[in-house]
Amino acid sequence: MGIALQDDMFTPEVIADPYAYYGRLRDQDPVHWNEKYEFWVVTRHDDLVWLTRHHELFSSAVFKNDPRPPYPAIDESDLGLYDYVRNYQGDQFIQHDRPDHLDMRKVVHGYFTPKSLEEWRPFVRKAVKHLLDAVEEKGRMDVMRDLATPLPVLVIAAMMGVPEADRPYIRQLAEKLLYIGRGEYDRMKPLTEGMKGMIEYVSPLVDERIANPGDDFISVLASGEKQGAFTRHQVLVNTSLLLLAGHETTINLLCNGTLSFIQHPDQWAKLKKDPEGAAKLATEECLRYDSPVKSIQRIATQDVEMRGKTLKKDDRVRWFISSANRDPDMFRNPDSFDITRWPNQHVAFGSGIHHCLGATLARVEGQEVFKALAERFPGFRVENEALEYQPSITFRSLKSLPVHWQ
Amino acid sequence: MARNLRIRVDHNVCVGNAMCETFAPNVFRLNDDRQSEAIDPAGDSEEKILEAAENCPVSAITVEDADTGEQLFP
Repeated sequence: MGIALQDDMFTPEVIADPYAYYGRLRDQDPVHWNEKYEFWVVTRHDDLVWLTRHHELFSSAVFKNDPRPPYPAIDESDLGLYDYVRNYQGDQFIQHDRPDHLDMRKVVHGYFTPKSLEEWRPFVRKAVKHLLDAVEEKGRMDVMRDLATPLPVLVIAAMMGVPEADRPYIRQLAEKLLYIGRGEYDRMKPLTEGMKGMIEYVSPLVDERIANPGDDFISVLASGEKQGAFTRHQVLVNTSLLLLAGHETTINLLCNGTLSFIQHPDQWAKLKKDPEGAAKLATEECLRYDSPVKSIQRIATQDVEMRGKTLKKDDRVRWFISSANRDPDMFRNPDSFDITRWPNQHVAFGSGIHHCLGATLARVEGQEVFKALAERFPGFRVENEALEYQPSITFRSLKSLPVHWQ
Repeated sequence: MARNLRIRVDHNVCVGNAMCETFAPNVFRLNDDRQSEAIDPAGDSEEKILEAAENCPVSAITVEDADTGEQLFP
């Protein structure tokens, strides 16, 4: 191929600034074979949309349908743990193809429609107010610790009817589950600890809701077992998945979005002029500009031609939201943060039949947070300029975001 | 007598989630770009059509009474 692109996506430079690296790939080799990890890297917006909407060509069962060892490589003595991971991940509804995926998604889809989530907006608004009340006097906060983490954990825990006192423990387990997108050689241990911990934690909750169903979301999942869409293990795994997915990515939206406003004072001023009116489009631009999820994987179900390359059956294919959302062929001035951008066909939530189930929930939380910040605070300064990101190719996660105002 | 409906799918926001096709399969069909189109506004019952619109995850579907212009969804 002769293209001088280095293939290590876990270097500190690429983790700190994925946009330069994936942007170069998008310009020079938009369907790129990564030699180091042996998967295809898809970076253009139109290719990503095409790929995600042709689910029959690209399987989402990326653990079940992939007999190869994990990448990056793991400790050989941990291959037994990896089998556990495959079995666990394989039962997530998002890791299924049609027709099973549709049966599973139908169980949970109705809970997450825009109309039903609008009913949660007052609860979200009140929770944001309480969290900001607690820090306002102090003149400083860690956006991650004081706002972006507690808010979505609180909301998803309330939806699931999980006891309030358990929230810190859920977050602890969630942090272990995040090793799924990382490269450490010994990551299987914390990852499986998180998975086993989640199953153990949600089992009695699920038992209880099967016996006494309520209007909470665990009861909805449990009803999937009665309908024959889920096995018991699938109910447990998907309850854990939604506990995790229901907050982790939203944390990133809230932190990355707040940081984007700090880095673009003109856009912050625009938001402050009309917080209520501007919050909706502003949230979309936050989702586009510094997306919570960087990339997701599929497995080719047959040989597929893309941009003159042949993706072979069973090849791993990773599509990069972070580069598609900065594609100049789709977005005018793609590297500008413009909170009035419309239309804004970003792919932060993916596309097609697997489009993020919780998209509307994330939107509601983003809108309420950015609106409240603009209503209540003059502006923010970052305490420490050297911001660090988690070394993940899946998530765009800051480690912390300490700010002050005045 | 069922009333006549006007159904629109906004292609600036449709992501091809295909839930509309599941709820009202005779009304909505994905096109070559895998975005939804209302091919027959009388293909399914009004109830099914409104259910399809409500289950669109990105609120891309609007439904009106074609004769009076009354908006039925959202």
